Amino acid sequence: MLDFDSVSSDALLTRYDIVAESKEKPETIAERHLPKDALLRKVAEDVLYMKYKIIEEDVAAALKEKTPEEIIENGLLKGMDAVSDLYGRGIYYLPHVMVSADAMDRGIKLAEKALGNERKVKGEVIMHAAEGDPHDIGKNIAAVLLKSNGYGVVDLGKDVPVETVVETVVARKPLAVTGTALMTTTMSAFPRISSGLQEKGADVPFICAGGAVNREYVESFPLGIYAEKAANGPGLVGKALDGWDWKKIRDKWDDIQSGSA
Amino acid sequence: MVMNKFKKMEYSSAEDLVFGEAKYPQEYGLGLKVGAGSVVPEVNFAPRPGSEKTVESLKREYVDYITKDVLNRAITLGFPALQLENEWIFQLGDNPSKMATPVVRGQKELMQKFHDEYGIKLAIRHTVPDMRLHEDGLRLDMDKVHSYPEKILESLEVAAKNGADVLSIESVGGKEIADHAVVRQDIKGWLFGIGYLGSLDMEWLWPQIVDVAKKNKIIPGGDTNCAGANTSMFMAGGYLDKDIPRTFSAVTRAIASARTLVAIEAGATGPDKDCGYEGPIIKAISGRISAQEGKGAQCAHCDMMGNLIAQTCDLWSNESVEYHPEFGGSSVQCWLSVIGYEAALMNSAKQLKQDKVLRDIYVASDRYRSPEGFILAYDNAYKIGQAIVEVGDSYYLRARAAGIKAAELIKESNDKGKLKLSAQEKDTLDKILSDLRSLPDEEGKFVDWALKEYANVPAFNPKNYEL
Repeated sequence: MLDFDSVSSDALLTRYDIVAESKEKPETIAERHLPKDALLRKVAEDVLYMKYKIIEEDVAAALKEKTPEEIIENGLLKGMDAVSDLYGRGIYYLPHVMVSADAMDRGIKLAEKALGNERKVKGEVIMHAAEGDPHDIGKNIAAVLLKSNGYGVVDLGKDVPVETVVETVVARKPLAVTGTALMTTTMSAFPRISSGLQEKGADVPFICAGGAVNREYVESFPLGIYAEKAANGPGLVGKALDGWDWKKIRDKWDDIQSGSA
Repeated sequence: MVMNKFKKMEYSSAEDLVFGEAKYPQEYGLGLKVGAGSVVPEVNFAPRPGSEKTVESLKREYVDYITKDVLNRAITLGFPALQLENEWIFQLGDNPSKMATPVVRGQKELMQKFHDEYGIKLAIRHTVPDMRLHEDGLRLDMDKVHSYPEKILESLEVAAKNGADVLSIESVGGKEIADHAVVRQDIKGWLFGIGYLGSLDMEWLWPQIVDVAKKNKIIPGGDTNCAGANTSMFMAGGYLDKDIPRTFSAVTRAIASARTLVAIEAGATGPDKDCGYEGPIIKAISGRISAQEGKGAQCAHCDMMGNLIAQTCDLWSNESVEYHPEFGGSSVQCWLSVIGYEAALMNSAKQLKQDKVLRDIYVASDRYRSPEGFILAYDNAYKIGQAIVEVGDSYYLRARAAGIKAAELIKESNDKGKLKLSAQEKDTLDKILSDLRSLPDEEGKFVDWALKEYANVPAFNPKNYEL
């Protein structure tokens, strides 16, 4: 065995992730989002620091003095805003977002119970993994990110027949529908869904993503909007909420990704 | 089924591990020898979208275009030996008798023709798809919607009877828990999913694959934890990615090795699957031939160990490439050229008795590029193998031991200033070590705890594992 320690790895590779590590403290960044009110701040910090085991206790305490709407809007969602900011800066990783979202969900459920009904979501998104495709981790991540951004999600699951997707979209008239596929031969369900939707007059943005899926392919059929990763979801659906049709979202895709649209 | 679980290493020293040689070489197909002194390129391919519409178009794509192109390029460049891998698409596995039979048969007929005409040594691996859905049932008679478990067995029979030389699968047992755990950075959940449940599913599945192979006098190859550890690895990604820390993916890889080993314990002879990056650990323990992929598979994966992972391979693969034109020929021809030339380089090194030097150069190139590459470097892979066989009887304990050993190796190198880690990678590593060390030493206690802890994970049904 050669002496591996005699090799300088600095001459072979550069750890750009370490070079680019944020010098700002996460607490400083989070402070910009956190509420000042002590009760709401506690709830927001439970989301921020992933304290899913005690969040219900803190929400229950806050409910004695605050309305459920205040707790959701100015507590739970503010905590999630801080999480999104830290994730966007590469300080938080995906698991932080997932566990924070779990905590937020628990808090929201309790607040909704006090409210007597479910909070109003911004709009609904129907999600599925393509027919013949059992890989759905990307869809599940995207679902959490959409929910934590205030959207309602109807998750049809994996290996979903084309007809089921079309029928559900026609019946529920969502803001957008998403499809994910790992393999090139299962993503061929996407243009069939597009045709089915167009035949029924459902002109809804169809956001497609997954391992083998590429932008050129998705833009080869009507309605198709490409998403490179799960984190693109809220931004794209947000444009549908703003009233953009699929053609405008597709045309302005690069601007949406860069944040200039 | 009584499994022959590994209690000791087949190799007495890490230094004995090198590419192109295995303790148990295999001869199969049309005169192909693997692990017997040379590395063989293994080319893998995928048909273009749309070709799956009819049996005729699919056969044309696989046989008349892909297989013919591949064989022509092998002859053009003078490659003495070649293995093909047909990683079945969903449409082949969903209706194997109708859709797959003509493809499998057609590929083998063409290979026979080239073998007869040029004497090139050839074999083909058929990797049947594991389409099983955890929510519908993993075992026979459970899935009333699609009958996917039954279709796996049908696919194996169709492949074996019509021309396969090697049978493989990328099985998905435990994936429902691993998917849940990986996005929550929950190493205990991942250990339960892949280390324990994944092993139980392999123990059910692999004896059946071995039976089909034996009955048809072909090779039961091996598995991969593509569904679990590769999910971790691709989410961890490179220096721009922030989905999960690379220390987490490195430890999941070590845990996965204890699970992928079960195929061999059930009678698989190797080669394991190319995308099973846990291969060096499996080879160190079992002495079985190993397929690997790295820099010649950049058409499919951007991994962080493109050179290093060639260190102990017996087959060198391109993972998979979709058929399409390139300037230098079709994509399958271009990527066969890449892996075929690399195999020629390795084989030249063997003849010049410089193979261990080349092996070490491969390792030096990527040893500190990522924690996952680091723990798979053959000296570390060997140590993880030792940790596994020390408690080889228990699926849980050996998977846990593999995870702890990998984490300790990473920590030790980082403490010495060799393997650099980001702040997040370090924090994650410390948490992994404390989480794994805090677990009970009795399998039963762990399983009781985990069944309660993960009872509400969507699609988790203990009956899939007879629990």
